[in-house]
Amino acid sequence: MKSGRLRIIALLFLIGYLILFSRLFYLQVLKGDFYRKLSEKNHIRIMVVNPPRGKIYDRNGILLAYDEPSFQIYTYPYMVKKRLKLLKDRLKEILGIEIKDDIYERLKKGYANKVILKKRLTQEQIKKFINHWQDFEGLFLEVQPRRVYTEYARYMPHLLGYVGYPSKNELNKNPMLTPDMLIGKSGVEKIFDRYLRGSYGMRAVVVDAKGRIVKTLWEKQPRRGSDIYLTIDARVQKIVYEAFKQSGQKSGAVVVVNPKDYSIIALLSYPIYDIQKFADGLSVKEWKALLKNRYKPLFNKALDGLYPPGSIFKITVALAALQEGVVAPYQKIFSGAEFKIGKWVYRNWDPRGCGYVDVMGALEVSCDTYFYQIGVKLGSERISYYARMFGLGEKLNPQIEKRVSRIPDPEWKAEFIGEPWYLGDTVNYSIGQGFLAITPFDSTKILVPVLNGGYLLKPRLLKAYYDMSKMRFITVKTEVIRKLNLKRFYFRVIKKGLYDVVYGKNGTAKLLSTLPVKNAGKTGTAQVFRHKKRKEKIEKWYLQNHAWFVDFVPYRKPEYLISVFVEHGIGGARTAVPITKSIIQKMYGEGLIR
Amino acid sequence: MKGKFKNYDFFLLFIVFFLIGWSVLNIYSATVHEYSNLYIKQGLYGLVSVFILLLFPLINYRKVVHFAPFIYVLGVVMLLSVFLFGVTILGAKRWISLGFFTIQPSEFMKYVVILITAYILGVRKEKVDLKTAIIVLLIVSVPFVLTLKQPDLGTALTILIPVVFMLFAGGISHRYIVAGITAVILSSPFIWEHMKDYQKERILAFIDPQADPFKSAYHLIQSKIAIGSGGITGKGFMHGTQSKLFFLPEQHTDFIFATIGEEWGFVFSSIILTIYLIVGLRMLYWSNKIRDDEGKYILIGTASLIVLQAFINIAMTVGMAPVVGITLPFLSYGGSSMVAFSLMVATALSVIRVYREEKLHF
Repeated sequence: MKSGRLRIIALLFLIGYLILFSRLFYLQVLKGDFYRKLSEKNHIRIMVVNPPRGKIYDRNGILLAYDEPSFQIYTYPYMVKKRLKLLKDRLKEILGIEIKDDIYERLKKGYANKVILKKRLTQEQIKKFINHWQDFEGLFLEVQPRRVYTEYARYMPHLLGYVGYPSKNELNKNPMLTPDMLIGKSGVEKIFDRYLRGSYGMRAVVVDAKGRIVKTLWEKQPRRGSDIYLTIDARVQKIVYEAFKQSGQKSGAVVVVNPKDYSIIALLSYPIYDIQKFADGLSVKEWKALLKNRYKPLFNKALDGLYPPGSIFKITVALAALQEGVVAPYQKIFSGAEFKIGKWVYRNWDPRGCGYVDVMGALEVSCDTYFYQIGVKLGSERISYYARMFGLGEKLNPQIEKRVSRIPDPEWKAEFIGEPWYLGDTVNYSIGQGFLAITPFDSTKILVPVLNGGYLLKPRLLKAYYDMSKMRFITVKTEVIRKLNLKRFYFRVIKKGLYDVVYGKNGTAKLLSTLPVKNAGKTGTAQVFRHKKRKEKIEKWYLQNHAWFVDFVPYRKPEYLISVFVEHGIGGARTAVPITKSIIQKMYGEGLIR
Repeated sequence: MKGKFKNYDFFLLFIVFFLIGWSVLNIYSATVHEYSNLYIKQGLYGLVSVFILLLFPLINYRKVVHFAPFIYVLGVVMLLSVFLFGVTILGAKRWISLGFFTIQPSEFMKYVVILITAYILGVRKEKVDLKTAIIVLLIVSVPFVLTLKQPDLGTALTILIPVVFMLFAGGISHRYIVAGITAVILSSPFIWEHMKDYQKERILAFIDPQADPFKSAYHLIQSKIAIGSGGITGKGFMHGTQSKLFFLPEQHTDFIFATIGEEWGFVFSSIILTIYLIVGLRMLYWSNKIRDDEGKYILIGTASLIVLQAFINIAMTVGMAPVVGITLPFLSYGGSSMVAFSLMVATALSVIRVYREEKLHF
């Protein structure tokens, strides 16, 4: 190694040093004053311009949600720190705006981070702010998109969901988000956020020492979010809501789908809440009231609630029994008032029993003892197998469904209850009682393949979206998950049985036979509390039975599958059927069903 | 034990301690206004670094060099793992997450490259010939390319810098140096073609900042104003207005010198500049005395890396170099950078300690 080369390296270091030293000397000593003035006069600030979100339409183009400009006042703490008290008083005096304590704290502690003082100014406030601008030095007015929900959207708060600011976690994960950008937090707003969101723009401006914008240097326009069309029919949703409301029932859910393509036509969770108030921000009092409400308005019962299905599950059991050859379509079985296993007695809901009935008759009168018998012959595992075949216990569309049904079997019981599976469990299972629990949305799964000829489809909410790059609407197609290998004749048998529920002599939903359009369905009453005596009256709402009714209309070529669930609604025929009737009546009245 | 400490180069040690303390102070000023507790984190990294600087030199550097091939393989594996499990921050994959903190393997790679080069050059006692140079460059090209792919042009360049200086000090023939420089110039259009758009923009912005003053040159201009407005004595600790209005994350990492220049003025910014020169020259001074080749190379590599990285970073903040993402050694925010530089200096201190010890024994 040559030490001469070390000297060269040292020399290189020295040269670099001298260049930088003289540069620092030049910048800081010779031009120090120049730059000091520059720094006082010119601040370059990069501002983020948030995009409007895409609009949400229903299937027929009824507008549900859009963005409108909204004015807000903001400031930077370092500009107003020294005269906070004064500003606070003026805001109250002139504009009637109170600064909350937490915002005041942020102004006191912060420095260059933007702080929003008041959102959604009224026209009056904007006018006054502009007229008194000299009193509000250091405060700025800006436009931000605000989410507005139309009158039709009011009937579907759970479905549409809400928007909010991204959490810290979301911000870290996604660099395309800004802290004051609205993103979907639940429902459709969240599911289709990638279409609706758009991307933010930026603006570089020169501001003077007082923070006023002197000029704009460059600008990148924000790109607005894509519009989407849902499969929802807003008119049906409104009808469904009103029917439920008029029934006087307190809590429940209604799901309407088209069985041909499994598009969701209406999805109601009752009671609802005010979606616009929710989007604009609730007061603590309002929020607490919503949380305290015993009928849980914030909870999306249609998708997230798990309830025993009761007799509507008999459809699945009947189909399984036919397919497995446990019973033939026209084979009549004696079904009395009781079914005995050893010392245990299982009663029919109707103490008279049903006599000799075939599967259609059993569906018509919802004969428990018939289903006890075929259920026991099938065994719990085969029942579970068929339930799963129809998509129960599975998220057919994980974007929409957040919870899955509980499909019990011996393994499940051993794990969660810690007890072996008894024959009595199978008996209960065969009439949709016991450990089985499904969401109101899942109740549609029982019938969709039966009505469309045996196809398990992916439920869908999106009809079309606007593709920004192609500049046109893209229609979303239905996806087939699998074809069920079941004999089509059995579907017809089931449908006939369900027809008799409405039009048969002893049908449980005879109320519907007066409707001007042919329809069919199945009632369900799910026990919540074990009655001591047959006629015991239950006063407490939360101990009453759940009521179900699944209906399809028109009977020949079903276009709507309507599932009504009334939480603690006492009985399917008593509360769920009348609601269904009023829904179909109104839909017919408005020409939605012909 | 006590005897070993006695042979530390305390001058070098305390200068580095000073830089670490100064770093925490300035990161406090640069970030605390935004409710950030980054200075606490930096303080912890600083503490770790102080321990490394105090204890690591007790290990004989020859043992470390002996394991250089193994460390090299480990380092390359770490770099590769960035591609597999890396975290993406601001569009680049440079970090591995270890739960509550992330590490940037490419920062440590600089140290590894100095070790492996010293190992190879040290084995061949003679003047560095072409064959040796090619072997070294081949070995170094692996981490260089991996880092370039992250993409991280700045760090990739700083991986190469110490190697070039070590080869030069090793006495590689002038002909090859001239050939190397010519090759770089000739291939520059090709390199330009393969650069990312943002990298091109930065270079163009550097050549002509006024042409596009508020996109790529935004940093350059803002930082120049910040430093210039600091004047002779600065605006005072925590009183920099310009650097606080940056709205950009780099004010505590790559652009920390802007905060220093603005708040402490020419007096202190020139002192900081001088400190880097002193660190470099001090290491060169020792390397001239030492007869052991491996030790010599470690000192030269470390000195050239610290001085060049510091100078390039400062040149960038005063508008004399295009913006490439590299840290200011010991001052910028970041655990990987600080710990990696501490390891380098600690190894250099070990070289000096062993030299002094052996000299006393003879």
